[in-house]
Amino acid sequence: MLRIVVLSLALATLVPSIVQGQEAQTREEADRQRREQQATEVQTYQPNGVERAMDFAEDKAIFILDREGFHPKLGSLTVGSGFAYGLGFRDRDLFSNRGALEVWAAGSVKGYWATEARLRFPRLANNHLYLETWGSRRDYPQENFFGLGPDSNRDDRSDYAIRTNHFGGRVGVRPFARHLLVGGGLEFLQPRLGAGQNDSYPDVPELFPPTDVPGIDSRSDFLRSEFFVEVDYREPIYAKKGGWYRFDWSHFDDRTTNQFTFNRFDADVRQFFGFLAGRRVLATRLFVSTSDTSAPQVMPFFLMPTLGGNDTLRGFREYRFRGPHAMLAQAEYRWEIWSGFDGAIFYDAGKVADHRSDLNFKDLESDYGIGFRFNTNNGVIFRVDTAFGSNDGKHLYIVVGGIF
Amino acid sequence: MASIAAVVAVATIVSTQSPRFYPDDPLWTDNDRVADASKAGAVEDSNGYDFLVNTLGHPGERRDVRALNVNTVDEVPDSSWFTNRIGRMDMSVAEIVRGPDRVERVDITGWQVSGGKTTGVQPGFRMTDPAGQIYQIEVDPPSNPELASGAEMIGTAFYHAIGYNVVDVYLAEIDRDKLVIAEGATIRDPLNGRRRQMKKYDLDDVFNRAARLESGRYRVLVSRFASGTPLGNFRYYSRRPDDPNDLVLHEHRRELRGARVFGAWLNHDDSRGINSLDMLETTNGRAWIKHYMFDFGSILGSGTVYAQRHRPGNEYMFEQKPGWLTLATLGLYVRPWITIDYPDVPSSVGRLESQQFDPLKWKPEYPNAAFENMRPDDAFWAARIVSKFSDAAIRGIVQKAAYSDPAATDFLTKTIIARRDKVVAAWINQVCPVVDVTLAADGTLSFNNAAVDAKAATAPAAYELNWFRFDNATDQRTPVGGAMTVTAGSARAPEGLTTGDFVGVSVKATHAQQPGWSAPSTFIFRRSGTNWSLVGVERGPVAAAKP
Repeated sequence: MLRIVVLSLALATLVPSIVQGQEAQTREEADRQRREQQATEVQTYQPNGVERAMDFAEDKAIFILDREGFHPKLGSLTVGSGFAYGLGFRDRDLFSNRGALEVWAAGSVKGYWATEARLRFPRLANNHLYLETWGSRRDYPQENFFGLGPDSNRDDRSDYAIRTNHFGGRVGVRPFARHLLVGGGLEFLQPRLGAGQNDSYPDVPELFPPTDVPGIDSRSDFLRSEFFVEVDYREPIYAKKGGWYRFDWSHFDDRTTNQFTFNRFDADVRQFFGFLAGRRVLATRLFVSTSDTSAPQVMPFFLMPTLGGNDTLRGFREYRFRGPHAMLAQAEYRWEIWSGFDGAIFYDAGKVADHRSDLNFKDLESDYGIGFRFNTNNGVIFRVDTAFGSNDGKHLYIVVGGIF
Repeated sequence: MASIAAVVAVATIVSTQSPRFYPDDPLWTDNDRVADASKAGAVEDSNGYDFLVNTLGHPGERRDVRALNVNTVDEVPDSSWFTNRIGRMDMSVAEIVRGPDRVERVDITGWQVSGGKTTGVQPGFRMTDPAGQIYQIEVDPPSNPELASGAEMIGTAFYHAIGYNVVDVYLAEIDRDKLVIAEGATIRDPLNGRRRQMKKYDLDDVFNRAARLESGRYRVLVSRFASGTPLGNFRYYSRRPDDPNDLVLHEHRRELRGARVFGAWLNHDDSRGINSLDMLETTNGRAWIKHYMFDFGSILGSGTVYAQRHRPGNEYMFEQKPGWLTLATLGLYVRPWITIDYPDVPSSVGRLESQQFDPLKWKPEYPNAAFENMRPDDAFWAARIVSKFSDAAIRGIVQKAAYSDPAATDFLTKTIIARRDKVVAAWINQVCPVVDVTLAADGTLSFNNAAVDAKAATAPAAYELNWFRFDNATDQRTPVGGAMTVTAGSARAPEGLTTGDFVGVSVKATHAQQPGWSAPSTFIFRRSGTNWSLVGVERGPVAAAKP
């Protein structure tokens, strides 16, 4: 036993010096030895897969979607078009950063397609002047039509195709406050109608006589002159408080047949009431559109206001109601669940009317529902809305972009 | 054969038994520049990854272990991470206010715009002085003039006095029309991410988002670039695998654990890895990494480009339980922080208050491994440092922000003082706060009570002392005498105890309002000639781990 103890003590002295050099006698020396040992084991940092993916997302992916030059064009083309994808080119650095050019072409899963070129000068004259000009071609092959007026029948679903060329320009002035924009513009439109491409439904002329669908045979070109006033004091753009109002007077001049000249006035008033530190918002909207014509002129059906779809009466199909006059009231209670993720309970009510005097709150079509929004301060990126309560069934919308 | 195995086993046990205290303990400097770190490369986390890994990944080692970088007297030695300042030395108000500043003020005459700003939400750009030193220039938002620059000035001075490495920052005014863009100045295009020649409109983009003075000039924050080579940021967990000097897991570093206390005090909700900076410096031909706290533009009531929102400081960006509750109840469940009534203050202050502030409930933007590992002894260490900031020092630091509205200075000073008192009261009492312990040659023990000194508690009715002999080789403690009760900070060691080389005493106190004082703090002394020097301190309920 004594021999073992003696051997142990001897080894206790020898082993450390054999294995790891001389044992430290001070704390500083012990730490130095640990660092020298670690120096033999250092290795270059290797990011893991998640890290590389997140780096890519922040450094590259955002720029792919929002990049200068060629970029993917994603989203929808119009209500009911379905998801669209295509290619765009942008240059926001024109004329020493004063101008921005955007050119794109995209097609949707439902066969819609469009192309557009738009040149904007958003901040001229020290931010007091706004200019833009555009040209576009939009081909919508299966637009819904259920008839005109408030009594249209959901079973009378038909469709038509419309291809429109647009060329226009607009100027806006912010005279004294950044919240106020006053302006006007001119736009030349060449709408051309054709047979609807959805074989599940009849074409409009198969279900409706031409007298019930003014403009169905039209090959008129229009010159639209417009004057507008816009007030925007939302805070922030995806508003927790404030308001956005726009009043738009337009004169559509039939330059081809002189049959479809009319005036149209749209008022869109959106007011936002935030409470509980802006984590709850009551968002309200009232939209009214009315028009007038001078006999024998008539308003073509394809330029009438419509209701139904993901941004108006959500409990109804796209363009379920159409008429020369329309009104829409919407309210959403939005509550923040997490930063950038809101829930919303909504109620929509509205109607179209054959006569302006019928624009009142009687006999409104309505729906309600619930939705969720992924958002930033600058708007909704993506939303899911489910609408109920109408006589048009339940509707689920998955939409890139917000509502109001 | 069995004998040989036994010999080896015993030899191993004996050979790995290092003493509890080395002759040079306690170390006040951790020489973490000893190994060459020149092979270290940049580790730069993205915002998204930092959020994701800390929110969902639960990184780092989570265990209730004493901080691994403290010295044997439970303090943080000076290192590339931290330099003891107000916690260990008397600093005048002027020294505290001056902070890391190298000069009284900067004069940007002759400087040129040398590039765009690469990180952060605060608009800005880079300038270079005639000597080639680079500075970052940042502006305040039009809605809240002086907000972010004021927060940065204040935060820098506080964190410097606490002991962290920070870059020096200054206030200046810029005449936009006189700015000259240097030849070769580049910017990462915000639209496509590609680096390109910087142009005049890039400056327009900055100043379009800047608060303008009545004189037409712009108040700007001027931050001096740290010396050395940038290596990205440090993390609040793990170690740098390419730094041989980085021995301790970051989540077990006391100055990182304790940063939670400072973060709560100053509402530094943005205290996260990506707001730190590692710089490779070279001294005497050997490279080492210096670790900086960085970006204080979002502390106090500032959200950098807006008044701070209600949530930061009160809830993580993504916190499951309140979120699901809010979802399920359609918003009828109202998180408590939503109803906090913030005072009406100048816009330069933002959103800050002290009435409903609860230090123990404060949270940064997302989970932080070091913060979550903070123990009562870490919190005590930090709270003591906080308690060292006098009212005059706090006012002096706030005045450094040069708010144009005196009401802003007054409000912030009072609020920081009130938050200081809450922070100290919350965390200095979680352990027995006996400090400044000395053992005289004649066996007289003297000590103070840090909580009482900080006016964070009243004195206890009595202290209970338990003496012991300490064997440095085996870590064995042999009680001597029974429990001793004293009413003041003085006692006499039992007869015969002080004949050995090491003696110790455990002290605890009974106080109806301070249950944390019942966990003993232990002090070990080493004979030094005829005197005794303090060599070991342990606080808190959990047995100390060897450093």
